Amino acid sequence: MRSSLNRLFFTAALALSAPAFAADTAMPAFERTVLANGTEVLLMEKHDVPLIAINAQVRGGSLTDPAGQEGTASLLSDLMQKGAGKRDAKTFAETVDGAGGKLNTGSSLSALELNAEFLSRDADLMLELASDALIRPTLDASEFEKVRTLAIQSQAAAKDGDPRGLIHQYGAAYLFKNHPYGRPVGGDETSLKNITLKSLKAYYQSQLGGDRLIISVVGDFKAADMKTKIEKAFGGWGKATGTLPVVSARQKETGRRILLIDKPGATQTYFWLGNVGTNRADSERPAQALTNTVFGGRFTSMLNTELRIKSGLSYGAYSGMLRYEQPGPVHIVSYTRTDATIQAIDLTIATLDRLHKEGISNDMQESAKNYVLGQFAPTLETGPQMADKLSELALYRLNRDEVDLYAKNIRGVTPEQFSKAIAVYPANADLVMVLIGDAAKIRDSVKKYGPVTEMKISEPRFSP
Amino acid sequence: MKPRLLSALLFAALATAPAFAADSITTVPGADKITTKTLPNGLKIVVWSDHDIPNIALYNWYKVGSRNEYAGITGISHFFEHMMFNGTSKRKPGEFDRVMEANGGANNAYTSSDVTVYQDWFPRSALELIFDLEGDRMANLDFDPKVVESERGVVYSERRSSVDNSNFGSLIEQVDATAFTAHPYQIPTVGWPSDIEGWKVDDLKNYYHTYYAPNNAVMFVVGDVEPQEVFTLAEKYLGKTPAQATPRPITTKEPEQLGERRVNLVREGEAPLLVFAHHSVSGSDADMPATELLMSILADGDSSRLHQQLVEQQQLVVDIEQSLNSGFDPGLSYIYATLPPGGDLAVVEKALDAELVKIANEGATEAELNKARTQQLAGFWRGLATISGKAQALGTYEVFNGDYKKLFQAPADYEKVTVADLKRVATKLFRRENRTVGTFMPAVKKGN
Repeated sequence: MRSSLNRLFFTAALALSAPAFAADTAMPAFERTVLANGTEVLLMEKHDVPLIAINAQVRGGSLTDPAGQEGTASLLSDLMQKGAGKRDAKTFAETVDGAGGKLNTGSSLSALELNAEFLSRDADLMLELASDALIRPTLDASEFEKVRTLAIQSQAAAKDGDPRGLIHQYGAAYLFKNHPYGRPVGGDETSLKNITLKSLKAYYQSQLGGDRLIISVVGDFKAADMKTKIEKAFGGWGKATGTLPVVSARQKETGRRILLIDKPGATQTYFWLGNVGTNRADSERPAQALTNTVFGGRFTSMLNTELRIKSGLSYGAYSGMLRYEQPGPVHIVSYTRTDATIQAIDLTIATLDRLHKEGISNDMQESAKNYVLGQFAPTLETGPQMADKLSELALYRLNRDEVDLYAKNIRGVTPEQFSKAIAVYPANADLVMVLIGDAAKIRDSVKKYGPVTEMKISEPRFSP
Repeated sequence: MKPRLLSALLFAALATAPAFAADSITTVPGADKITTKTLPNGLKIVVWSDHDIPNIALYNWYKVGSRNEYAGITGISHFFEHMMFNGTSKRKPGEFDRVMEANGGANNAYTSSDVTVYQDWFPRSALELIFDLEGDRMANLDFDPKVVESERGVVYSERRSSVDNSNFGSLIEQVDATAFTAHPYQIPTVGWPSDIEGWKVDDLKNYYHTYYAPNNAVMFVVGDVEPQEVFTLAEKYLGKTPAQATPRPITTKEPEQLGERRVNLVREGEAPLLVFAHHSVSGSDADMPATELLMSILADGDSSRLHQQLVEQQQLVVDIEQSLNSGFDPGLSYIYATLPPGGDLAVVEKALDAELVKIANEGATEAELNKARTQQLAGFWRGLATISGKAQALGTYEVFNGDYKKLFQAPADYEKVTVADLKRVATKLFRRENRTVGTFMPAVKKGN
């Protein structure tokens, strides 16, 4: 691929920070129905292009992976496309591609997901494929072996790639060690080997069912017709037999600990500094979104100004919060050439100190509000974006007010709320630090930050 | 929301077979309202009003990229892209971003071999400010030597991540440099390390003067605006910037490749990689639609030939993908395979070669052609689902095909392609003497 280079590698950063919300954008009308089997259905008509998007989420996700078999939900989601209903794997793929459709399955920590987008003329086909994949997956033995082998091999291949794609996985695994939020969603090379077809089938029976399903459909259709079709396609799915795990909150960590992941020959050090942050339902989310915008959520943020704009140490620096039912990580990420490792980490910590000490000026509060409001509408522009938002609100049992009132809530954030939001970021004495780099060159110098544990990037897991 | 009537018409159009009669124009809601104007200084502006969301996407395309570079200044187009945000005689370094973000706007930019594109996304309320900012940097860019040095470090950091610390990035850079012996497509857009270290302020000034002229740019404004207000603002803020002499044309044609070339990269890593690159056609070539469909049949989606053969059946590779250059001049078509750790490159190379020989000898089926066309059609609609997607699509056709209106002929162009075209293109493309093979092989680890 002839490289097309972007000024910013910021998409990931923005996606990880709390999504920007709201220039008075109200959510368009949608219809909510709960089927007799417990499936929650959300339907929104949208007629600008002849496409239909579907987002289905089954509560549970990787949090329901059996211990030692992390990656089960993810592997199951892969296998759902490898034969379902009357179609074998090849026919299933031919059918999706032949209609010009997109159909992706995967797992997050909190839900197993299916996303699809088809031309609206193929709405019936899309529902057939989606319901086959979720309700009638073949779970064929030879396909299982292939999918599992591919998953293991892909993990090894990913470690040869750009470390920017790996740092969050190592960060979460180290911060949340021995807690469900530290589990690798895709498993690791060791846990994937422990999964068998039998264990996968048992997992399917126990953890998937219509009572856990949220299904959002957005696009070029008539809601009344679509409702009938959805009921027919998903209304007969029985209940999951198992229970959903209750996740307890991990307390914020005090003190420091450091994980150094050795990537021999790396010319850059990638670093992640974090601690436990906050949860999805936090009513202070608007203030936190604004604070993150100022600290590390846009190009002129404090972090990017110091590490990129003023010093040229890095191509980018950002911060963000991952939110679940319970608090997830709050993190700062950047990278720099190997010989500038200490200079860049010191500068990052000094910038964190400045946030805590100086707070955020009134001008900057206003700037952040304008930015967050101005960038909101494009986050809900397409069918897939809207379907994802409807499902997300349902998953966390939130209502449309979060969207409809967000502009008002953003405008109303007070200086006191900014101060409170700053406290979500850890103090410099309480940092979990994860570094990927050439250990031989930085091993000694990073000891000044605290006790260092070391592992190799080639090890078949994400934490020591 | 847009009128519902149009989608009913589209449904009717899609439901008939063939979906698009030859020479037909695909009706896209609101496309009839696209308005253009060229200012006296040569700046062309294309406006597509779309009131779905209260936002605007402004894409400014400059016809300059690493294709316009030469030894000593490689990477300068991309470096320049960074410098376009770093101060003018009116605004200090950093002010462009600070003011834009404080008024609700965001921006990015990208550089390829052929073009440099500046993107602004902003609420309606910031419209005049954005024109002020864009006009300022087109006319008054300034180069603070301290900022040049700092930005040099930023770009080098970008290179380390996307090329040096990525086996895939390093391999592609080597393949491009090997496949082109004469044409500047051999130059990595990020630049060779010694050139990143070596650019001078004067190089930047020359570059600015030559390429950043209104007559070398096309601006696309899509969203919650009316054409007349855009034209008025453009006159006010961009109309006074003088036109410049037309830049030196790139005349070098890559001579026909006379034999297979190879580059073998060996270093630390786990998973071997294989790349096939074949010389292809330019973005405006009449064979481009057939080439796109051919590559799609080979490697788009799990049902594609190469995925089925190499991933599912023979289980030789973890992943196989394709991509196709479509710039001003004939570029490369790529097929990339990621092998599992310990995978045998020679076996994969043989299997991939066999598939290419097969499609060249036997062609593809009508069913495969239909599938690839439908994928393109769905992709066409997905691309037009956002104001950003519209600005990107208009720009691609205006700049590389000479007229944005050709965007709406694209579905019909794919309809015209026949299985005979696919066979003819495959035969021409997949000759071994037209191929550069790149491999990455993990080094044997010390102590093992």
